[in-house]
Amino acid sequence: MRIVAVDPDSCVACRNCEYACAFRQSGDFDRRASHIRVNFYAEERACVPLTCMHCDDAWCLEVCPAAAISRDPETGAVQIDAARCAGCKMCLLACPFGNVHFDRTQGVSGKCDLCGGDPMCVRSCISGALRYIEADEAVDLRREVLDASLRRLLHLDKGEK
Amino acid sequence: MQVTIVGNSAAALSALEGFRERDQTASVTLVSAEPVPAYSRVLLPYYLRRRLSYEGLFIRQMSDYARLRVATEFGARVERVDPATCELELADGRRLGFDRLLLATGSSPARPPIPGLDGPGIHTLWTLDDATRLDSLFREGARVMVLGSGFVALQAAWAARQRGLQVIVVELLDQILPRVLDAAAARILHEQLLAYGVDVRTGTRTDGVETDHDGKVRVSTDGTGAFAVDAVIVATGARPNDGLLPECLEPGKPGIPVADTMETSVDGVFAAGDVTRGPTSAGGPREIHALWPTAVEQGRVAGANLAEAGVAYAGSLSMNVTEMFGLTVASLGRFVEDDGDDVFESRDLAGIRYLKLVSRAGVPVGAISLGDPEGAALLGRLRPFVRQRRLLPDLPTFLEGRDLGQRLVGRGAIKEKTPCA
Repeated sequence: MRIVAVDPDSCVACRNCEYACAFRQSGDFDRRASHIRVNFYAEERACVPLTCMHCDDAWCLEVCPAAAISRDPETGAVQIDAARCAGCKMCLLACPFGNVHFDRTQGVSGKCDLCGGDPMCVRSCISGALRYIEADEAVDLRREVLDASLRRLLHLDKGEK
Repeated sequence: MQVTIVGNSAAALSALEGFRERDQTASVTLVSAEPVPAYSRVLLPYYLRRRLSYEGLFIRQMSDYARLRVATEFGARVERVDPATCELELADGRRLGFDRLLLATGSSPARPPIPGLDGPGIHTLWTLDDATRLDSLFREGARVMVLGSGFVALQAAWAARQRGLQVIVVELLDQILPRVLDAAAARILHEQLLAYGVDVRTGTRTDGVETDHDGKVRVSTDGTGAFAVDAVIVATGARPNDGLLPECLEPGKPGIPVADTMETSVDGVFAAGDVTRGPTSAGGPREIHALWPTAVEQGRVAGANLAEAGVAYAGSLSMNVTEMFGLTVASLGRFVEDDGDDVFESRDLAGIRYLKLVSRAGVPVGAISLGDPEGAALLGRLRPFVRQRRLLPDLPTFLEGRDLGQRLVGRGAIKEKTPCA
């Protein structure tokens, strides 16, 4: 399956992905509705977009007491059926990455569903930081990139260049 | 090989599905005392609150059982397990043989030793039947008393209040939600209950209950006197349904003790879910964690090991989350500090009205969040640290979501198929 791979080194924190996702979710540009979130750290000059990784062993899916979370057989996306969701928030507590969010107006959990196989965040990314690629490839790539970013961040934290 | 599962909720279903992932040939039978496909007990209050339809409570269809090729014995009550002949004795007289057995029989509402609690007008909120019975009693203006103040109690109270009933909550201890919140968080929630018009009586003992000829229930308490109500909901905790196989119990201790493989002391017999006393992620003695997530995890391990996969459970970590009275209430692990623990406390962090992290030597051991739903997500990110006893990067970094080290580990999980929990 393919997932949205993130390259923090290419991200320029323009937040187009957040706007695109928010618009897709709510028909509006309130970024709080976005399932992808760009964390921006001014001091370190680093930005990291974070979105669901559609884990093979998705704990949110297994633990949902309403059987509202399932995997799309076509795209492999772990997705929430808003009609079944009771709003209990077990999935928010289950996700180790903070990638499930709560829609306060509808009272249901929401997360990335890969837009049915054509993710809007990737379409709207201006810097190439987001790519829709095979998960295996993405893991190797992101490990490499994140190792590098982490090292850089740690050095910067210590005041080294 | 014949695999038999007794139970039809979180642990039983996870085990069934986990087993079938590994073994497509063995004959599997699932026995459940209730006559319906699986429904979600934890969602019963959502049904009472009219947040979910009756149909929405059901989490499996008959077609799901057919797809997993499991023979279902719904409405069949097991009286006893005969370990000598490897048979279940059913209430209707039939005997079902097994080679391997999983006891996922769950728990039942505890009955506190209060005189009169077996009379009419006394209810619990545990089964589908309970929920539909209460649903018909929830008439605007009716008066209901809830005994206890755990998740079930307070969610029942919230549902009743939402539907226009007068609600009194009586708790023996000095705070509400004693197993889920510390005293400070409980005080905030207590105020919220009062603001919603709930009459909350903590530190109050219920002395006796009598049902009048006119159907009113009279409840006498110490201190605050007597109440006349239309119904009483008893929600003072749960006790494991551990009576089927006394051979696997330890004297004087509730719950079936299980190893990290979910095996009991009786050969070929496994147990999972609320009925067990199992290993915890903190180490130490086994505990009963009668929680949905624990049941799912234990069920998964049991299912794998029924198929001889040799999987070991890393131990349960208590975790709770729900919304009640407009607040998201979440807690994790050991959230009351001991000597030598560090405590981070915040009274208003981006809509989280109360946030508390307890750690020891830099390793988080528990947390509470009250207020904004994002607090539950924050505790979710904290959970792997608590569970794996990992050092937390400095706290401001974590609260801002910059724990890259953790994410890095998490990303590896995709490929290596380790459970992300």
